[in-house]
Amino acid sequence: MSRQSSTSAWVPWLFLTPFLLTFAVFSIVPLGQAVILAAQQTFGPNTTVFVGFDNFRFLATDPLFWTAVRNTTLYAAGAVFLQLPLSLGLALLLNRPNLRGRMIFRAIFFAPSLVGLVFVAVIFSLIFEKRTGLLNVLLHGLIPAFDVEFPWLQEYVLPALIIAALWMFTGFNMVYFLAALQNVSRDLEDAATVDGAGPWQRFRHVILPAIRPVGAFVVLLALIGSFQLFELPWILLAGPGPENRGLTIVMYLYQIGFVTNDLGYSSAVGWMLAFLLASFAVAHRFFSRKEQY
Amino acid sequence: MRNRPLVRIHRSCRAYSVGIWVLLFVAVLSSALMVVFRVAPPAGLSFWAFARNHLEAYNPMVAEWNRKHPEMAFRTSLIVPAALQRRLLSGFLSGTPVPDVVEIERSIVGSVFGGPEEDIGLIDLGPLLAAEGILEQLNPPSLSPWTHQGKLYGVPHDVHPVLLAYRADLVEAAGIDVNRIATWQDFAREMAPLMADRDSQGRPRRYLLNIWETNRSGIEALLRQAGGGTFDADGRLAINSEINARVLATIVSWTTGPDRIAVDAPEMTASGNQLRLDGTVIACLLPDWLAGIWKSDIPDLAGKIKLMPLPAWEPGGRRTSVSGGSMIGIPKRSRDPAAALAFIKYLYLNPQLAELVFRTTNIIPAVRSFWDLPVFSEPDPFFSGQPAGQLFIAQAGDVPLRVSTAFDEFALSEVVNATQALKNFANRTGTYDAEDLLPEAQRQLARAHSVVAGQMARNVFSRPDS
Repeated sequence: MSRQSSTSAWVPWLFLTPFLLTFAVFSIVPLGQAVILAAQQTFGPNTTVFVGFDNFRFLATDPLFWTAVRNTTLYAAGAVFLQLPLSLGLALLLNRPNLRGRMIFRAIFFAPSLVGLVFVAVIFSLIFEKRTGLLNVLLHGLIPAFDVEFPWLQEYVLPALIIAALWMFTGFNMVYFLAALQNVSRDLEDAATVDGAGPWQRFRHVILPAIRPVGAFVVLLALIGSFQLFELPWILLAGPGPENRGLTIVMYLYQIGFVTNDLGYSSAVGWMLAFLLASFAVAHRFFSRKEQY
Repeated sequence: MRNRPLVRIHRSCRAYSVGIWVLLFVAVLSSALMVVFRVAPPAGLSFWAFARNHLEAYNPMVAEWNRKHPEMAFRTSLIVPAALQRRLLSGFLSGTPVPDVVEIERSIVGSVFGGPEEDIGLIDLGPLLAAEGILEQLNPPSLSPWTHQGKLYGVPHDVHPVLLAYRADLVEAAGIDVNRIATWQDFAREMAPLMADRDSQGRPRRYLLNIWETNRSGIEALLRQAGGGTFDADGRLAINSEINARVLATIVSWTTGPDRIAVDAPEMTASGNQLRLDGTVIACLLPDWLAGIWKSDIPDLAGKIKLMPLPAWEPGGRRTSVSGGSMIGIPKRSRDPAAALAFIKYLYLNPQLAELVFRTTNIIPAVRSFWDLPVFSEPDPFFSGQPAGQLFIAQAGDVPLRVSTAFDEFALSEVVNATQALKNFANRTGTYDAEDLLPEAQRQLARAHSVVAGQMARNVFSRPDS
């Protein structure tokens, strides 16, 4: 009997072995190496100097890192406070049963998210271009006094990034909200209507509580996506932009790691980013649990 | 009882569909085939280049070399600069494949020099070139970007002097004599009548110069012309120099305010080329390689433009600058360094190729003895019949020295940020005069200097004692 239990004990491990091996080789070992790397200065794998916490100490006072944090946070705020309400608004509109051409509108709003960020960046760099850009030509056509040479990508760096991201991700997030809205109990809404609740009260007290878990999840996704921003500003601004106003955390990580080849410091920046993202996930978990009980 | 686990596995296997077994079979078979029939590495030596126009000129010569030397045949690969940088560094530092000969662009080479000397993956060619008398044939200032701690890691492909290209048709029609222009002050004064022509909103139809506050290559060229730049000739950080502040203040005074004389017409863009064609831009900084691109991209400019030396920053000052550049080198792990050196000499010390490169790219060689070739004295219809080659060659010996460090790009970015901040200051305060902008230029450059110095001080490999 004991022999049977001992053999049945290793069978699950046998089946788990391929996953555990790949997970260890491609996740655990690199994570461990990244911890070591963050305490080193390197020039390739063979030349390393142990610097302890120096990379983190420098990070704390590095003006460029904090510029990147500030820019990324502002972009994330734009994503959460502009993009998500807009997504929810669109989802509410498209959830109306009497709306004609609902499927077409859904496809139209979702379509931009099928295009890669690189293409979005290229498209918006053409839209925001001086003299020949669509925006300036349009505004100059409508208001002749408007300067056709207005440099959007120099004067309004973050707003330009937020607008480009808005175009791309609003439809994508809309799909989550739409799915959540379709699960809201029609009975509850009808009951609220019978009780005399107006549209705003129905939204505030029936719909919003029902879609809150999905909303919290979308906020978490938007935050994580925003803090990993790289390709959009890198291509739209051809780098960190004027006065580093488009510098993001990941862009800074890339510049240090792959332009000046300082993988140690780059790893320290990576750990700070991982810590930030993990804290968002923990906060999300905390608030989700709080709601459950 | 004893076989129960096997029975369980057998049952589990039966649970899988036929498709999964087919996939598994294909995966195992293809893996086995790859192990049995290994793909042989390509024969011959490899040569990586980053510039299509360079390679197009080399290809016939490489074919000729391969016919003559089948035992040392070279395969050429065109690799975009960013990928070449990554693959080269990866090869130098991690042992992944490297080429036997490589052509490297200047913005890449600094990263190769970023670590300790033993990690520089290129052969020091200085002694080899000196022994064969090649070193003295090369334009001395053109060696500086490829020299690190006294060692020369590449043969310069080019010199890349910068001249001023101007719309001769418009300038001459306005009765302006460019021979009266010796300094940038003269330039602004003598060319000023061209800005009198205004549109319905009172804006100039023409601007005198193509420069703007985020134009990295233009700003760098002007800083170097003045004797400034991000690093001095000894490799010390020099962002906060007085010369840099003066140049930046002047550039900003050109690019903003009611008396602005400059416009942004980016190179190699349709909109920028249109501004050059319609005469909105009168003059542009033009390195020799860019002249080649103009010829192919804006053929309608032919016969309308002429070249002249850059106006100097002070009377008697330097009349040129430098922009871009590339070298050819041999990785330490090259399979046949002797063949690689012979190949380099065949390409770079070949007057026939120098002529071909000039005809196809307008690039003048770094080998001084080739400067007497008739091709460089031929009248060029694109430049209104001027001998463009000789005009560039006349300035070649005077191009500024440059050092290459891992912080080049970062330092230049900070200088450009300082220029942008200075322009914002000018617009915010209504300060448009270069002299009045000088204190703020110094402040912005001091800030940029401290940011870069902080990064460099933290880096153990960039410390002098490392």
